[in-house]
Amino acid sequence: MQPCSREMQAMNSLLSPTQPIPLQDLQPNGNSGTHQAQIHNPQFDPTSSHDDFLDQMLSTLPSCSWSDLKSPWDPPKSDETPPSNPDNNAGFHYDEILASKLRQHQINGGGGGTTAAMKMMMQQQMLLPGRPIAAAGGGGLTMPLHNDIVDGSSFKSPNQQGGEGSVQALYNGFGAGPLHGTNNQSPNQPQHFHHPQGGNMQTQSFGATAGTVMNQSQASGSTTGGTPAQPKQRVRARRGQATDPHSIAERLRRERIAERMKALQELVPNANKTDKASMLDEIIDYVKFLQLQVKVLSMSRLGGAAAVAPLVADMPPEGGDCVQTTAGGGGSLQRNSNGNQPSANNDSLTVTEHQVAKLMEEDMGSAMQYLQGKGLCLMPISLATAISTATCHSRNPMMNKGSSSNHPLLQSNGDGPSSPSMSVLTVQSATMGNGGLDGSAKDAASVSKP
Amino acid sequence: MDSQHLNPSSLKSRFTARFLRALIKINAQKPISSSSPREIFQRYRRIKVAADKSMAYSVRSRRTWSRATLWKLRSRSRRRLASSGRRSSIKTRTTTTTTTTTTSTNHRAAIVEKTSHEKENKEDHVGLAVQAEELRELVPGGESMDLCNLLDETAHYIKCLTTQVQVMKKIANLYSLE
Repeated sequence: MQPCSREMQAMNSLLSPTQPIPLQDLQPNGNSGTHQAQIHNPQFDPTSSHDDFLDQMLSTLPSCSWSDLKSPWDPPKSDETPPSNPDNNAGFHYDEILASKLRQHQINGGGGGTTAAMKMMMQQQMLLPGRPIAAAGGGGLTMPLHNDIVDGSSFKSPNQQGGEGSVQALYNGFGAGPLHGTNNQSPNQPQHFHHPQGGNMQTQSFGATAGTVMNQSQASGSTTGGTPAQPKQRVRARRGQATDPHSIAERLRRERIAERMKALQELVPNANKTDKASMLDEIIDYVKFLQLQVKVLSMSRLGGAAAVAPLVADMPPEGGDCVQTTAGGGGSLQRNSNGNQPSANNDSLTVTEHQVAKLMEEDMGSAMQYLQGKGLCLMPISLATAISTATCHSRNPMMNKGSSSNHPLLQSNGDGPSSPSMSVLTVQSATMGNGGLDGSAKDAASVSKP
Repeated sequence: MDSQHLNPSSLKSRFTARFLRALIKINAQKPISSSSPREIFQRYRRIKVAADKSMAYSVRSRRTWSRATLWKLRSRSRRRLASSGRRSSIKTRTTTTTTTTTTSTNHRAAIVEKTSHEKENKEDHVGLAVQAEELRELVPGGESMDLCNLLDETAHYIKCLTTQVQVMKKIANLYSLE
């Protein structure tokens, strides 16, 4: 039994084994149906056991599905011979109908609907109890399809956008979907596509991307049809770079860090270093230096009473520029002396002085720190002399290391124990001297202690 | 002396205004004749805090480091006031004690410990973990940032520090010329 409609008759006629229809007949409005029939024929061995069920299914097919098939096939219908063995082919009518329906969708330019239609088709095929038939049919469908597709590349040229794309996509879909028969689509698809695609779908680059079959066919339809429907293709990577999202994020992060480093380079003086590590070192030292300057300046601005707290002299041991400005600021370091503390004896002072002198030779920072630990400080020589002349007549500077304009000097006070008032005076005059420190590079500093 | 600040709303002018006000207050509080080193140290400390606070206030809370600085100062002063049993406005007053509060240091250390683990993981592949750590210690509030943001904060912090130093130098000059 077969549904007695003209479409079915047409299908039956298609199913009759006739000579293979040349591909030139495959026009958007036409002979694909006949072509289909030829494709189907060699493979579809009738299996009578499935006929009844299939008949039932076919009888319940909605008429709209037929109507879709109706129009494009009207012209060729008249050309086709009536099917010879409709009963035997009933089971395969369904497949064919679905396939043809899909093709009609394709031909009509439904680029976006292709995937859905094809998926539906495949599912319907799979759902059929005649699954082995469907699979076999599908498999059988594939091979001649491939052959046709190869020829189709030449065929393609005369045809235009929607038509060729859709037909091609149809072929692709059919080639891919039924291939596996069990919804196993993606892995083998690209390979199959490679062969039939030939020159036609170069733009698709199916081999490179790993989309699913449906997506690829959809994409093929879309590229030719011009409709970008849900592109799931991977992003094409630039040459030599990974597409892994992690590495992309990494790359972005590194670029951002490089940007920031460049911005920092402009802020920090002496920033001609090229590698990140040394640049970071520069930055760190500069921040330390600035913080130290703030401390020093805050000490010096007490409007008359100097702060006596020892400062952390963690100075960077580098560049003339840095040391120079620090000498200006660092010269105001004062000893945290109080009157209660008994004055140190000369011996320790001498030792200290030697020690500091040694340290000064090698590293300013360590020298300052050493002084810090001892509760001593550096101050400009001019200031020290001012203090000494103002207060302590017996004061004579003992040591005066050779100084350059860029280095604070070490000068010891060889007075020995002096009155506690000395500390105060030192403090006060130091304050007076501090104002002159800023902006001018002091030549000398001295160690003073009562 | 006149103000050379052409832009009244620039960072420099904002900081200068605040800092000068704070200085005036500090100078008004204590007579300058105090010679005890302890008091002098206090004074120094107060000024330094005023400077930092002024700068942080000028930046408002737009930056992580300014927020961290303000928080630090406020919590420190709050703790000191609580310990001394006094209550006063915390806005611009600094405390009177000189002892550095270990609590704030401990708190900061805790933060550093907590976040150091994550930082190490993130920094490993870049190979700059050591310097990043050091930078974090320097920049206030830097303990909880990844390298990218840390560099950003550092740039702004450096800019503000240079402004601060410039202004303070000029003020010191003014003082010294009297």
